[in-house]
Amino acid sequence: MKTLTKLALAASVSLASTMTLAADKTLNVYNWSDYIAEDTLPTFEKETGVKVTYDVFDSNDVLEAKLLSGKTGYDVVVPSSTFLARQIKAGVFQKLDMSKLPNHKNLDPAMMAKLAELDPGNAYAVPYLWGTTGIGINVAKVKERLGEDFPVDTWDIVFKPELAAKLADCGITVLDAYDEVVPTVLNYIGEDPKSQDQKVLKKKVAPVLDAIRPYVRYFHSSQYINDLANGDVCVSIGWSGDILQAVDRAAEADNGVEVAYIIPKEGAGLWFDMLAIPKDAGSVDEAHKFLNYLMDPKVMAGVSNYVWYPNAVPASKPMIDEEITSDPAIYPTPEVEAKLFTFPVYEPKFDRAGTRMWTALKAGK
Amino acid sequence: MKGLNLSLLMGAGKRLVMAVPYVWLLLFFLVPFIIVLKISFAEAQIALPPFTDLVEFTDDVLTLSLNLFNYIDLYEYDLYLTGYISSVKIAAAATFIAFLIGYPIAYAIARLPEHSRNLALMLVILPSWTSFLIRIYAWIGLLKNNGLINNFLMWLGIIDEPLIMLHTPFAVYIGIVYAYLPFMVLPIYTNLVKHDGRLLEAAADLGASPVESFFKITLPLSMGGIIAGAMLVFIPAVGEFVIPELLGGPDTLMIGKMLWNEFFNARNWPGASAVAVVMLVLLIIPITIFQRYQAKEAEEAERG
Amino acid sequence: MANTQTKAGWPSWLILGLGFLFLYLPIFVLMFYSFNESRLVTVWAGFSTKWYGELFRDDQMMGAVWMSLKIAFLSATMAVALGTMASVALVRFGRFRGKTVFTAMMTAPLVMPEVITGLSLLLLFVTLAQMIGWPAERGMLTIWIAHTTFNMAYVAVVVSARLRELDKSLEEAAMDLGANRLAVFFKVTLPIVAPALFSGWLLAFTLSLDDLVIASFVSGPGSTTLPMVVFSSVRLGVSPKINALATILVLSVAAVSLLGWWLMRRKELQRQKEMRAAYAS
Repeated sequence: MKTLTKLALAASVSLASTMTLAADKTLNVYNWSDYIAEDTLPTFEKETGVKVTYDVFDSNDVLEAKLLSGKTGYDVVVPSSTFLARQIKAGVFQKLDMSKLPNHKNLDPAMMAKLAELDPGNAYAVPYLWGTTGIGINVAKVKERLGEDFPVDTWDIVFKPELAAKLADCGITVLDAYDEVVPTVLNYIGEDPKSQDQKVLKKKVAPVLDAIRPYVRYFHSSQYINDLANGDVCVSIGWSGDILQAVDRAAEADNGVEVAYIIPKEGAGLWFDMLAIPKDAGSVDEAHKFLNYLMDPKVMAGVSNYVWYPNAVPASKPMIDEEITSDPAIYPTPEVEAKLFTFPVYEPKFDRAGTRMWTALKAGK
Repeated sequence: MKGLNLSLLMGAGKRLVMAVPYVWLLLFFLVPFIIVLKISFAEAQIALPPFTDLVEFTDDVLTLSLNLFNYIDLYEYDLYLTGYISSVKIAAAATFIAFLIGYPIAYAIARLPEHSRNLALMLVILPSWTSFLIRIYAWIGLLKNNGLINNFLMWLGIIDEPLIMLHTPFAVYIGIVYAYLPFMVLPIYTNLVKHDGRLLEAAADLGASPVESFFKITLPLSMGGIIAGAMLVFIPAVGEFVIPELLGGPDTLMIGKMLWNEFFNARNWPGASAVAVVMLVLLIIPITIFQRYQAKEAEEAERG
Repeated sequence: MANTQTKAGWPSWLILGLGFLFLYLPIFVLMFYSFNESRLVTVWAGFSTKWYGELFRDDQMMGAVWMSLKIAFLSATMAVALGTMASVALVRFGRFRGKTVFTAMMTAPLVMPEVITGLSLLLLFVTLAQMIGWPAERGMLTIWIAHTTFNMAYVAVVVSARLRELDKSLEEAAMDLGANRLAVFFKVTLPIVAPALFSGWLLAFTLSLDDLVIASFVSGPGSTTLPMVVFSSVRLGVSPKINALATILVLSVAAVSLLGWWLMRRKELQRQKEMRAAYAS
């Protein structure tokens, strides 16, 4: 009798220990807010038994500061492509184990080739979602000022002083991100957007920006979303996903404002949000499982349907709503796509010069 | 004998009262500050961590390289000085306005019946418990061209054209005063509430008018509270940048924002650290001298 | 004496009225829009309570609210304890070795820009974890330490201002009457500085509740505070959910304070009545 209880006790103890082991499989994910479908994580947890702690952030800046300071405690993080490139150089991430990522073959080869500029050999990261840096406009107000038939699909409406002057009274806003605006200007004036030449910055970029500075209402990287939707501003340099949010909100509010997102014909910046695993991650296996899961066509179709950002898994396209895939502002046409360029990774010296030029520009000095 | 024991015990207690906060600050302020100081002498690089080491050990030689570049650069880059001066100016003006608004509020609360004072204090601080950002956004909604204030004034027929308030210095002052008002009211209230009413009575008996006795008695006596309040508003306001960024125009240059840019956009940790060190030194030395002077004065007053 | 001090005439009420109008104007605006059907905070599209429902269904936000309230409560309390001790040491202990350093350290956290405070504490925690294995994980504990550190500076400013003006003769008189120092502190000094402690605690609680930058630096997985949630969604505009949350918070705290005020007032009226009755008889 006594031994029996002992046995039962031992059995229950061992059961308990295997149970805690199963529960110990955890994964800490740090992603942008509102950037995943509602069922993505629950399904992953059910399929794999891994418990996910999901935190959100809203700027590459704080993420980068944490990554560069040492152990973050996260197993999967989602920096944007240029930030990722710099962080790879700094030695923040571990090389992916391709044997654990059978879905890697699903990724778009053309995109992977572009990404190889930032992540040599695509060794450290896989793309999650992507977008462009273009222009959001208030359709009616821009037409009213530039004429009914004016072709608005050009950077001229922001960077040409005489056009900017006409639009100034209804509000022009610029992203407060010099490392995206400078390459955009370089591309607009026909220079190499990846130039890191301080002379070019001073002689060619600064004059373009200085000339339109009087017509800019503010430099900010998020306020324009609401202001566009409310009709408070009418031309904004901004990120595709954000401006599409404004399009959506204006339509939803039914306030007579029509917002449109434009990828200008001169070309625009292309960025990716990338999934990567820090060197000091605790749950490396689980992290690979999660990455592999996020390259599954069905899963990514679900994510794109929910957040309205394009992904890098072509096989998911048939499963994405027609409304999204047929919108050239979200999925650009092949001609436009050919003109998209990735942003450069700046050297510290250029970063400093660029930031100062930008501060002086904003201050109007 | 017993007395000796007691005073020994008191001595130990005294040391404990001093040591606990001292050790806390040494560990969680001074050590981190030394780390910042160290970084300010390094050079930015793309690595982990993103700055160079000061101490290098190569070929059995220990080299300590102190890089003064960041400080020289600080001195040579004139926008820093402009930004610093404009921050101090904005903060000083905002502090003064907060005093003009906050003192009467604190005074009125101190004169409420005793059981109502804590309620009034709670009501002063309560708006600050809602998120900072949504309060600022609420002000944007109030101040913008087709915002509530303009619509209200136009409805009243006082103005025909909307007043331009958002993205102006006026909006910046509103924002800073609004955000920091409790930090002015509470210390002044704390001081005023303990004033001895008999002094005012005596003054009245001697024929002083209420206004006279306010300026001759109450105001000077509440100087300690005013100084404390002014410190709590002025010092953080110098480093403020969210308010000028959201409510002010792009030409409002503030040191807090410049430091932020240096750190996050230029990814220049050493440069940002140098700005912080200089800012700290420029503000802390006058404050410490002032406090020593205050302490000395208090001691003399006691002896005299 | 009590009477002259507590007379609040109409100018006082006018000042309070205008002051509270200024303080509550934006609060009324955001309360109003928390009942807005539309997601756009500044466009009125009809009455709705749907954001309240969504708020309670948002586990992440509710979790962050509790986390923030806990950290604010604990760090404000610790900051009042440490800040008061520091003030007593600085104001009361006369001159001692290292006093200037102490004074400077007490004020310096006020001056340090948030980014640098956050970064330097993060680097400290990372270094400590490598050297002695503590703190193994960053989270509530590290945020609490960081908040306590800058909060104690605020508390010390308020409390030492009060202590400096405190009449020492009261304490000395008590001591002459044979009370020991500890008893004097708790029975004489503490009641006099109580309003300062209360003010300091309120300010510290507020600062902790509103801190975004420092908490972002020193937090770890699973320890998201409310400002972090608010900020992470602000790119898409302030969510009406946050307005709903602010409304609930303001109304419930105001209700509890009013209740406390009413109880105190009733007790006092009762006492006055009894006293009058006692005089009359």
